Amino acid sequence: MSRFTSPALVAYAALAAAGLVAGLALGRVEPVALAAPFALAVLAGAVLGRDPELSVRLALDRERAVEGDTVTATLELTSAGGAARLDVLVLLPAELAPEDAVARTVSLAPGETRALELPLRCERWGAVSVGPVLLRARDTLGLRSWNGTAGEPQVLRVYPSEETLRSLVPPLETQVFAGNQVSRTRGEGIEFADLREWRRGDRLRRVNWRASARRSSLWVNEQHPERNADVVLFLDTFAEVRQRGGGTHERAVRAAATLAHGYLRHRDRVGLIGFGGYLTWLLPASGTRQLYAIVDTLLASDVVHSFAQRHVDFLPPRTLPPKALVVALTPFLDERASIALLDLRARGYDLVVVEVSPLEFLASARDSLDALAHRLWRLSREALRWRYEQAGVPVVTWREDVPLAAALEEVTASRRLARPA
Amino acid sequence: MRAGKLAPALAPGAVIGGLLLLLALVRGGGMTLGWALALAGAVYIGSLEAAGAGVDGAAPLVATGLLLCGELARWSLDTRLRLRSDETLAGRRGLALAALACSGLAASALTVAVSAAPAERGLAWTALGAAAAVGAAGAGVWLARR
Repeated sequence: MSRFTSPALVAYAALAAAGLVAGLALGRVEPVALAAPFALAVLAGAVLGRDPELSVRLALDRERAVEGDTVTATLELTSAGGAARLDVLVLLPAELAPEDAVARTVSLAPGETRALELPLRCERWGAVSVGPVLLRARDTLGLRSWNGTAGEPQVLRVYPSEETLRSLVPPLETQVFAGNQVSRTRGEGIEFADLREWRRGDRLRRVNWRASARRSSLWVNEQHPERNADVVLFLDTFAEVRQRGGGTHERAVRAAATLAHGYLRHRDRVGLIGFGGYLTWLLPASGTRQLYAIVDTLLASDVVHSFAQRHVDFLPPRTLPPKALVVALTPFLDERASIALLDLRARGYDLVVVEVSPLEFLASARDSLDALAHRLWRLSREALRWRYEQAGVPVVTWREDVPLAAALEEVTASRRLARPA
Repeated sequence: MRAGKLAPALAPGAVIGGLLLLLALVRGGGMTLGWALALAGAVYIGSLEAAGAGVDGAAPLVATGLLLCGELARWSLDTRLRLRSDETLAGRRGLALAALACSGLAASALTVAVSAAPAERGLAWTALGAAAAVGAAGAGVWLARR
């Protein structure tokens, strides 16, 4: 810790010296009498001020939390030399809001250890660090101080809170492994598909006796097998609209985490592509481990502005397996992402676009020119949506006041209608 | 009589000192506070010089008042920081300040009292004075190095 002398102490020393000099010069005792209390204060500052020899340990009660949770940071202070007044300030990121005073003053006797608890509310998702701690130890009168920084910053992963989903967008094509998605193909399963005439090798328990009696020949039931699916979450990170209350990227990440959790719970394989200034990807996989990997990648994702051209060709081939359902989360703010998505559709991928509406985060038009520009911009977005519809891609706009489940239900309904019989 | 004549000359110093104290309280700053106290002390000494009177018995009170003025101003600046502090800290500081003021008053009064005592010229007093000067310089060096 570095030692500082209060400007007041310097001023007192100067006053004391000036009083003594003035006393000599004028041959009077009054200046010396004026100097005496200030000289005493300087002496008191020198005697009372001691290096506190502080040791600080900062700890969090857990490493992971969900948005809205309260995490307690514990600050353990030990002073070998003692500190009459110790000012403590824990540096916090914007994602965490203290529920109690974050700046405190305590007193520590020599050798005393004291623990301070600071409850922190997780306001926004992200991988954030709590600390270090700014310290200022002062003597009783505050004439001398020791300032420093201590405490190892603690990393806290705040996971996005999830939206409630009753159902997920079902993929058009499924994979070969067992899962919870009803496949369009026919085979062993639970869901009834059709009747057909008995063939050699069919099991006896598959015979539909009622239909066989009516037709005077053996007929068997056919079922849709339950298979898993490959789902790729495509996160557009080229641009975002942000305001104090949130932003499009924040909502897109929340939706991606919700979808990843939902699909993985259904035993599907889920992958992630962050398509923007930086390319990030995770190969599709299933299980809890993949959920943590996806959420950790989402926490690190950020909107990075870049002028570099990006195509889907830049992605490693295995990130987009054949017959995968691609769920794109985009605010439709950058043309490169829009082109890439159309490119994916042209390559035959089952594509669903969730447009994270940026309109709620825009400032209102100040004049008629602003209003006109806003209208033109909205028209261009309508035109883009029309292009997607022409390509057979369902586009649903997810507004802030609408739950994600409602937006996804809209997609499911449109796909049900468009699905071939 | 002379003090009355010099009053217009001393008044600006007193006003500036007061303004500096206000400035220190509004904007903070130990050096500004120091200048305010220095001006107040200078005006007091100037008024004594102008009056041409003998030793002023109220000098210890003035000195303690100036110190308290500076310390209370600093305390008021400290309370502006939004720190949640232990309840005992304010009491401790108050006690420390009271002790400092009492000690300062005693030291100042002792200085005035010693100056009034008749001193004989002699080798012992000279040696004592030299030792006191060396001690003061040594104390200054020790304080600076601490």
